[in-house]
Parts: sequence; C-alpha cells; structure tokens
Amino acid sequence: MATRAVIAGVGITPASSPRKQTSSSLELVQEAVWGALQHSGATPDSLDGIVIGNIDGFEGTVLGAKHLVRRLGLGPDLPVSILNTGGTTGGNLVQVAARQVRAGDRRRVLVIGGPTFFGAEDLQSAINTNSPMIVEQPLGMGAYHMGAFYPSAYTERFGATVEDFAVSAVQDHEHASRNPYAHLRNTMTVEDVVSAKPLSYPLTMAMVCPVSTSANALLVCAEGTTEDLRPTPVLIKAFATSSDPYLGGGKNDFAAMENLAILAQKVYQLADVRSPREEIDVVEVFSPYAPMQPMQLEALGFAPPGGGIDLIRSGATRIDGDVPVNLSGGPLCTNAGVAGELAPIVYVALQLMGDAPEAMQVPGARRGLAHGTGGTFFQFENLAILERL
Amino acid sequence: MSTPITTQRVHWDLNYDVHLGATWGRFMQGLTEQKILANKCPECSRVFVPPQAYCESCFVKTDEWLELPPEGVVEAFTVAWLGFRGGPKPPYAIAGIRLDGASTLLMHYVGGLDLGNPNTIREQIGPGTRVRAVWAEERTGQILDIAHFEKI
Repeated sequence: MATRAVIAGVGITPASSPRKQTSSSLELVQEAVWGALQHSGATPDSLDGIVIGNIDGFEGTVLGAKHLVRRLGLGPDLPVSILNTGGTTGGNLVQVAARQVRAGDRRRVLVIGGPTFFGAEDLQSAINTNSPMIVEQPLGMGAYHMGAFYPSAYTERFGATVEDFAVSAVQDHEHASRNPYAHLRNTMTVEDVVSAKPLSYPLTMAMVCPVSTSANALLVCAEGTTEDLRPTPVLIKAFATSSDPYLGGGKNDFAAMENLAILAQKVYQLADVRSPREEIDVVEVFSPYAPMQPMQLEALGFAPPGGGIDLIRSGATRIDGDVPVNLSGGPLCTNAGVAGELAPIVYVALQLMGDAPEAMQVPGARRGLAHGTGGTFFQFENLAILERL
Repeated sequence: MSTPITTQRVHWDLNYDVHLGATWGRFMQGLTEQKILANKCPECSRVFVPPQAYCESCFVKTDEWLELPPEGVVEAFTVAWLGFRGGPKPPYAIAGIRLDGASTLLMHYVGGLDLGNPNTIREQIGPGTRVRAVWAEERTGQILDIAHFEKI
C-alpha cells in the first residue's frame, strides 16, 4: 500500500494589523515554525524538506520565499519547494507536501505560510495587478470588488438581502471572539454589519476581511513515522484543486460556486464521503467576504442551492451545531495572505487532534473539511478532507 | 528607551510590454473600428469574447471569427464606493455583461447611472438590465476603446 501523509504538529502566531505589527516576516515565520516544532516534538534535524510559498508582487520582492528559508536556522541542506499560486498558495502548500510524502521522496516536511499581505501600502492596488492584464485589469477591480459580483447574482436568483448575507459575518465574529489567535475578535450584530461603511455594493466593510499579519506552519509526515511526536496524527485523507477559466468573464454562473461543487464531488469520492452533513464534524471554508460562505456551503453539499443562509440561521454551523463552520472566525476575521489560506487546514488539524484552544474545541471531532480559494474572481479552489487516526 | 524603527517604505516604478499575440491583437484592432470581434470553438460551438486562441474546455484551436452586436444583458455587477491607489475615481459601476450571442461574459464599466443613492442601484443595473456599448472618441486598440456600457 502507498504511503499516506499525516499532519503531526501545527504552529500559529496571534494575528494583528500591519500597523500594530512590530515583527518582520522572518520573525513571524520563525515563531510559527518554532511553534509547530514544539507542538509536534520534532527536532529540526529530523526534517527532510520545506514547502513554503508567496504571492508575486505583494511583498515588494520577487525572491519569493527564498530569502526567508535559509535564515530560519534549520540547516543548510534542507530541500526547499517554493509555491506561488496566488491566493490559493496556502492550501496548495499542504497538497504539495502531502504528495512528496506519499511519493516516498520525503518523510517529514515543514509547511510554512507567511504574512504575505503584510507589505502592500494599498492591498487592493496590488491585487488589481493580479487581474488578467489588458482586458480586465483596467476595469478598477480589487479583490472585494470581484467578490461583490457573487451576491449581486445570488440576490437575483434567490432573493437574499444584505441582512441575510450579514448573518455569516455575525457568526464568524462570534467564533473569532473565542479564538485567541484571531485578528478581529469583536462581536457584531446584523445591524452593525449592514450599517458599516459601504465598500462595494452590496458589501460593507464589516462583510470584507481585514488585512492581517500572522504566520502559520505545520508538519506533514509519513504515516507510521510519528511515534516520537506528541500530537494525535491527522490523516490527509483526500485533496484536489480545480480551476475556472482564466478570465473572470469565463465564469459561467455568479449565483453558484460551480467550480467548488465540481471539486467537492471529486474530493468526496476520493474520501468516500457520501453525505457530507452527516459525515463531516468540522469545517473551515475560505470566505473573506460574508456572502461567499453560504454559497460555499451550498456547493459543498451542506445545504441546497439558495439554502446556505438558512443553514447558518438554523444554528447548525455554530460550535454546538451538527456541522460547525469556521470556528476560527475564518478569513473574515483574520486574513494574512498565504498564512490565511493555510489557516483552514491548521485549524481543522488542531480540532481533529483535540488540541484547539478550549473555547473553540469541538468535542470528539473525527473528520474535517478545509477549503481554500483565490485568483481573479476566485477561479481557483482547493479542498482537503482530514481525519483523526 | 527609544522605539525601534520597524517599517520602511519601498517603491517600484517599472514598465512592461505585454505581447498580445494574434488573437487579442485582432480583437483590439476590431475595437478601433467599433467592432466587437469574438471567436468560436469548432467543437463545443461556444462563442468567446474577448476571443481565445484555444478553447479551454475542448483543447482545440478556435478559428472561426464573428462580430457580436454591442448589446447585451448584465448578469452580475458591483458599484465601487471605495477604489484603490492608481485606480479609477469612485464611485463607479462594473458589470459582467453577456453580449447577445456570446457564451462568456465581458467585464466592463457601466456609465450614465445615478450612483448617489445605494438603494436605487439595483433597479438601475441589476441582473437582467440591457446595456449597449458607448465608444470612446479616440480609439487606440484597448479594452477602454469601449468607454463604458450604458443602459438601453
């Protein structure tokens, strides 16, 4: 039987705004790496690879993450794989590390997601440069402007209101208030969300993620090689990625996350998940804009089309519900670029290990779903199913 | 104790040439003549605008060209109340427009709207609104040769 890959340690740094952050990228990454090694009990000399990523142009460097790795002090001989898949880099780091381990090429790989939104003076301006050049880049869109297209079409099809979309922001904030690592930990009411400063119709500032700084790291190991490590290993059971066409205009339907639905079918089949709501205990989706979350829950099969908001309103997605979603507070409350996209996997792994901060731990969680998305109009999706061994 | 200096500003100022190639080159030439050119996949018959050299679904070369009418329907949109450094001055409206006969959406500005009151935005350019291209007076072969679309 082929080697399987497990997660056996995670490190998270508390998040803050760039303005309040006094550590450098390197210092934050070091803190996350030391955190992961400490959590796992692994020594630096037991590592045989690093997978780290960056997003072109966001950090005032084109060196990628290459300028960071040597300075981590983990030794001169570790092979390094650098990934750069834009907003989805964080989720893809784990997929690449898992493939290296599954292939038998490596046994203990350190995965690092740094604070890549840290530097841009105006992040939306940097994101606009990632828009398809020539035909869409000149049209004045940063990330949240693109994100705002979805609720406009969803409202047309399902009649949702801004108040409806606000429920997912209210819940994310409620969850973030229990997460000691989250950036925004204030609770909000629907009225607070709706009356916040308008950014891009129908999104208000409270429906749009903050720019955060933090770093995350985790350890991907070959199954059966973690006897010396402390945490309960978490199997990376199944994962895949999927992409829409390059141009935003190539997307077929803005009222549904079609690409994610296709990906979910594939990953559920790999993981032998037939009834996601009954078989998955904890979910972290990448929803930096509040309306994305109900749409993603629909695409993932937790609710029928148009039923995502009702699912959240029912309480099912709260910590005491049958399918808790974004107990971390999600990217709506903490979004630090590559670290933010790695976060869903980090938090799901912590939940399944039983090592999440006490106020956010789902008792007995055995199987979890971690999702990431990015790119122009979120055309890239990645998804993983993790299981406690 | 004095405070450490933990941030310094870095600035880049670089120009690039993007080489469009034959397919987008022909599209841009069309715009200078107030024509919206599209092309078609010989296998799935989908019509792409902007045109594509290959069909992303069928993995075949797209060789049949056609001109689309400068009219279509808004399918998704937003109004930017807040823009970004180097971008257009807000507020401005952007939409995904399904030109008549197209299989893809064309992203573009929608002009001629009263953006003063958020409550009237949806009735003005909500999905289903028919719009028509307004051409720029000076056209140099850029997407902004269409100045914006306007409600019909």
